[in-house]
Amino acid sequence: MQAYSITAAELVKCGKDNIPSELQSGKNLIYSSPATLAFNSPGAQGFGVKRAGLAVPESVMLLVSPGCCGRNTSALGRDRKYRDRFYYLLQDDTDIVTGRHLNRIPEAVKEICASRAVPPKAVMICITCVDALLGTDMERVCKKCTEVSGVPTVPCYMYALTREGRLPPMASVRRSVYSLLNKRPKKSSACNILGYFSPLADDCELYDLLQSAGVKTIREIARCQTFEEYQAMAEANFNLVLNPEARYAAQDLSTRLAIPYIELTNLHRVEKIHNQYAALSRALNITLDDEPHRAAAEAAVKKFRRDYGSLNIAVGEWLNADAFEMALSLLEMGFKVSEIYGTLGEANYVYLKKLAAIAPDCKVFSNLSPTMLNYDPARSTVQLTLGQDAMYYHPGKPGICWNGEIRQFGYQAVRDLFQQFTEVLK
Amino acid sequence: MKSLLKYLSPFAPDLAGAVSVLFELDGLIVICDAGGCTGNICGFDEPRWFTQKSALFSAGLRDMDAILGRDRLLADKLIAAAQSSQRKFAVMIGSPVPAVIATDFTALKRMCQKKLDIPVMAIEACGTLDYEVGASAAYCELFKTFAQEKYPVKADAVGVLGVTPLDCSTLEAAGKITQMISGDLRCYGMNSTLADIVRASEVSKNLVVAPAALKCAQMLERKFGTPYEIAVPFLPENTLQAAINAAGKNVLIVHQVFAARALQQKLQAILPDSRISSGSFFNKYAQGDYKFASENDFAETVAEGNFDVIIADDAFRRIVEKSFHGQWIDFTHFAVSGKLLEEE
Repeated sequence: MQAYSITAAELVKCGKDNIPSELQSGKNLIYSSPATLAFNSPGAQGFGVKRAGLAVPESVMLLVSPGCCGRNTSALGRDRKYRDRFYYLLQDDTDIVTGRHLNRIPEAVKEICASRAVPPKAVMICITCVDALLGTDMERVCKKCTEVSGVPTVPCYMYALTREGRLPPMASVRRSVYSLLNKRPKKSSACNILGYFSPLADDCELYDLLQSAGVKTIREIARCQTFEEYQAMAEANFNLVLNPEARYAAQDLSTRLAIPYIELTNLHRVEKIHNQYAALSRALNITLDDEPHRAAAEAAVKKFRRDYGSLNIAVGEWLNADAFEMALSLLEMGFKVSEIYGTLGEANYVYLKKLAAIAPDCKVFSNLSPTMLNYDPARSTVQLTLGQDAMYYHPGKPGICWNGEIRQFGYQAVRDLFQQFTEVLK
Repeated sequence: MKSLLKYLSPFAPDLAGAVSVLFELDGLIVICDAGGCTGNICGFDEPRWFTQKSALFSAGLRDMDAILGRDRLLADKLIAAAQSSQRKFAVMIGSPVPAVIATDFTALKRMCQKKLDIPVMAIEACGTLDYEVGASAAYCELFKTFAQEKYPVKADAVGVLGVTPLDCSTLEAAGKITQMISGDLRCYGMNSTLADIVRASEVSKNLVVAPAALKCAQMLERKFGTPYEIAVPFLPENTLQAAINAAGKNVLIVHQVFAARALQQKLQAILPDSRISSGSFFNKYAQGDYKFASENDFAETVAEGNFDVIIADDAFRRIVEKSFHGQWIDFTHFAVSGKLLEEE
């Protein structure tokens, strides 16, 4: 049996309420290949709940779980940044049946804090599917931990069972990491960028644009070195949300600390990026002159097309972008996209409709489908691959992962994309 | 606190042990989890996964699957996946979620078996136990399912049980053992096929290199009369070379018990003046061996033992970093540190 695929035109015809079962993760086993590692375990490479929880500077994490849930943290522990910051309270069968481990958590937190030369500024308690099923009230347990240890303690819910629910783990953990912010007087010239656990690229135009409009202090959690710097994020006049997974955290900050937020989408079509900045300038009532950045991005696209022609690019989902938005952007820039490997959801249909109009025969595969075990790259005509999964399917073809930890955004992302393409094709 | 790890990360769990035994046998492996356990195994505990294509799946359980106990849905997914691929067997491996909701794996197995013409197995791992438990269950289930017929014994055929990356800490273990022992060698778990399992009764004896395979060896002895012996033919050369300088010293060796004991015996023969003890965080080999129940237990043993040399995985070093000032020789154990000898 061949790997299942469906053309963009057929998919649009099916409609978002009739997505074929082969593309629905809930209807099939989830194939575990290097192309799906990030889906099954976001922490295996990049940021999962455990690593994300430690985005709070000077914090430590106590993972309360069966041994299996903390296993891959051994790899993280080799990184100097995390080496002394993970602790584990292992659950056994009796704990699961009786819930007795809950009584040990405050004691464990106290012991951890006492064992360190300098006490941590915060303790993040990570719990897993087991406690999700047990219905553990971890807020109450954390309150007790705070009382006993004198160190603020908050829960991080690594509930893989709820990943397609209303509040997936990676959205929930973003709320957790900002939940330690306490109300402070506002500074009109300060804002926060929410969304990622690593910073935007230094040459991202967003910094220039905001600064030129009078925003003097732009904070990101990944650039905070100390807990005090992190606490200063509470001074922000507004939050910019660059990733929908941070929306819930932004809503929480809006309610608790009265910091309003504006959401920006990670777009790659130059015209759309320009429109988005125009909308932002209207919302903030400031002037954002993005023309030089726009011109540079357009020039990068033009130069690449001139040098390499309209290449046929396979687009995966394991990259710092939405696979469908990226595919549509590349098509509108004049390239071909014959294959997309993505997990289709309602949100992607916005892009899919336009994509089908330009490239109706573009094939859509699901990385998660068991039939991907039979994917045969020899049947494909792609010349260049984008995304770690796409590279996995086409090992002999030039390609870029484009899923590094430093985040690209806006015009800078467009420039970076074609710069990396050029390097790999040289 | 016994269950609190301040220096170590958790050891490889039972489900990883089960996968390590079955990984190379061309079966359809389904981990009954929400995804994270599969990610832990694929991204960490099963280093072969990065280089060998395998039919490894997550059941992709969601909260409502667990709450409503949708076993039929899981069975249907497994049947569909098995029908779309040409695999020699299917196996379900448990995780904490089915353990909490008390999934009836026997019933699930029967539901799948009715619709499939390949054998279906189930390993009831729960994620709270060590890899040895899962690997042991997988070995027993595998041989129980496939090694049914009694073949004439071949004098030069030798079975090797327990060769997995988790215990041997190298992807070249089977190759190295094959070089060391002549004859028709079958390393079950690495570089072997399902046909070797089917013809397990052919071997004249089984070598057991890890405790995870002991129960299975005993089972094969009862079933086919195949004798077994505990033997660890392959020990890391770097560790051996470094340990040879420990003459007249008080030495502690820590690993899985068979490897620790093998090194202990080898060194004791070379260094008769040394006092050499062995121990493990996993099992106990014999009276006099140490069994460490926790980090504190290990720290206390080291403090009281007055050891000059410790031969153990580097991961354990952090526990006694401040109190132990003797020589530390790395004896890599993948199930502990997730490090392969190849990485050294």
